[in-house]
Amino acid sequence: MIELLRRRAEPLVLAAIILVVIAAGFFGSRLTVYNMTITALYAMVVISLNIVLGLAGQVSFAQTSFMAIGGYGSALMSLRLGLDPWLALLLSAVIALLAALAIGRPLLRLRGHYLAMATFSLALGTFSFAAAATDWTNGTIGISGIPPLSIAGFALDGAGSFYVLSWCACAIAVGIFALLAHSHIGRAWRALANGQDIAATLGIDVPTYKLLAFAIGAVMASVAGSLYVEFTSFVGPDLYDIGIIINLFLMLFVGGRGSLVGPILGAGLLTFAPQFLAGLEQYQNLVFFIFLLVLIIVWPAGLFGRVQDSAPLQTILPIRLRRRTGAP
Amino acid sequence: MAADALLAAEQISVRYGRSLALRPISLSAEPGGLTLILGPNGAGKTSLVKALAGAVPLASGRVSLRGEDISLLPAHRRVRRGIALVPEGRGRLPGLSVRDNLILGWHAAPSAKRGTATDDIAAVLKIFPGLGDRFEQDCNSLSGGEMQMLAIARALLAKPLLLLLDEPSLGLAPQATARVFAALKQLNADGLAMIVVEQKAVPLFAARETTIVLRNGETIFHEGRRPSPDELAALYLGEGRAA
Repeated sequence: MIELLRRRAEPLVLAAIILVVIAAGFFGSRLTVYNMTITALYAMVVISLNIVLGLAGQVSFAQTSFMAIGGYGSALMSLRLGLDPWLALLLSAVIALLAALAIGRPLLRLRGHYLAMATFSLALGTFSFAAAATDWTNGTIGISGIPPLSIAGFALDGAGSFYVLSWCACAIAVGIFALLAHSHIGRAWRALANGQDIAATLGIDVPTYKLLAFAIGAVMASVAGSLYVEFTSFVGPDLYDIGIIINLFLMLFVGGRGSLVGPILGAGLLTFAPQFLAGLEQYQNLVFFIFLLVLIIVWPAGLFGRVQDSAPLQTILPIRLRRRTGAP
Repeated sequence: MAADALLAAEQISVRYGRSLALRPISLSAEPGGLTLILGPNGAGKTSLVKALAGAVPLASGRVSLRGEDISLLPAHRRVRRGIALVPEGRGRLPGLSVRDNLILGWHAAPSAKRGTATDDIAAVLKIFPGLGDRFEQDCNSLSGGEMQMLAIARALLAKPLLLLLDEPSLGLAPQATARVFAALKQLNADGLAMIVVEQKAVPLFAARETTIVLRNGETIFHEGRRPSPDELAALYLGEGRAA
């Protein structure tokens, strides 16, 4: 019943998000517009993670590596090679795709925790490389002064123009996710997320479908990474550190794995939380993570995730209370 | 081994690490034929059907389908060649509706054999009409019997020549078991070859049938008749002979 309500509520929530985005664009403060732009860009990365994890069921921490390819690719190609920033973004996405195809085959032979560990190592390696390869990346200082994107000679260097661009890009990512989720590819991904052996006996080419999810996720994360550095005009290793990886997972799990609107809600919640909790000063993070902990215990599927099994809240109650509440 | 066999497995064995789960066994399946694989838990029955479906690699031997060696073909390509597996536990896919399950099955069929999804699904819903009422429901909400029917319907949509069923009666109420086996009997009579794995003899009979009894990965009975209940009990208890 709850599942059905959530599914039916998704289009309404999507419509509400669109209204909020339009309203914030017109009436929001500079800080709100900035945070909303960051929300849109992170939502894109979370949608890419949602394809890999939410649909195909592959626990991959590699999204920050592909963001880094997009970020550094755009910065280096536009600054050092003098390429048009759009072309740099496109070429970076191609490099991310080729990298995903090259490393995906061997990595995706691994399952479960092993895949998680391998991709976590990849993410750590990316961060370390970005910090250490000073000739290429300028080390921890990073690269600034990245030229802005432009459309028909109009530079997208203002907060307002980039706001529109970032939400348009996010809308495209949502559209791609919706198309994939409702296609045969999405069905095949959800089948293999439930069990690779079962999926194979249903005629699904498991290695190819896993690689497809990984590659599409890589391209999306790379484009988001490029847009992020175009927006801030800066790229540095801190954009791809462990905290970012954990935040991406939190955004997805809070919003709801496999859902259409969950990544945007999760990205918004984690982006705006510091602003809302600023008054708490040194307790800000503590209160926020207690809130997340309670949310995950009470609502384990996330705000718009699929409800599975019984609510863990009941299972952590003492048996006496479980009987009283009618829980199993 | 029949020369005109649809499927022929010759001396196939399955190994998990150092453990030999299935000792070399040969068997065949013909159109409209029924092969019953019986045995207690841990006998190697599931390993055998998984090996035939390509879900586990062979440690030895070869499997051929209509004369073509398919020993090295992965599971998804064997489905397109005509081998469909209804796995133990029915292959429940939470989050996917009955319709999604059936469309997955339909996609698995070779395009040359496929009609439109609507027509093909309507045809299997005639065999299992109860599924039509649950069409948009999450398959996780189906009862055991309904899920078994869905798993068989899904496999049938792949247009198999050979249907492998791993313990189709496991955990089913007697009425549901009767409905499932009535449908299987009709499909078998219509010419679909079947290999059925069960722990005990099942109410499914065919004009051409073979029974294989496994124990500890070893074939201890392999004949064109069914062992009597006493004979089966003796075989399970280790008092029977090796085939």
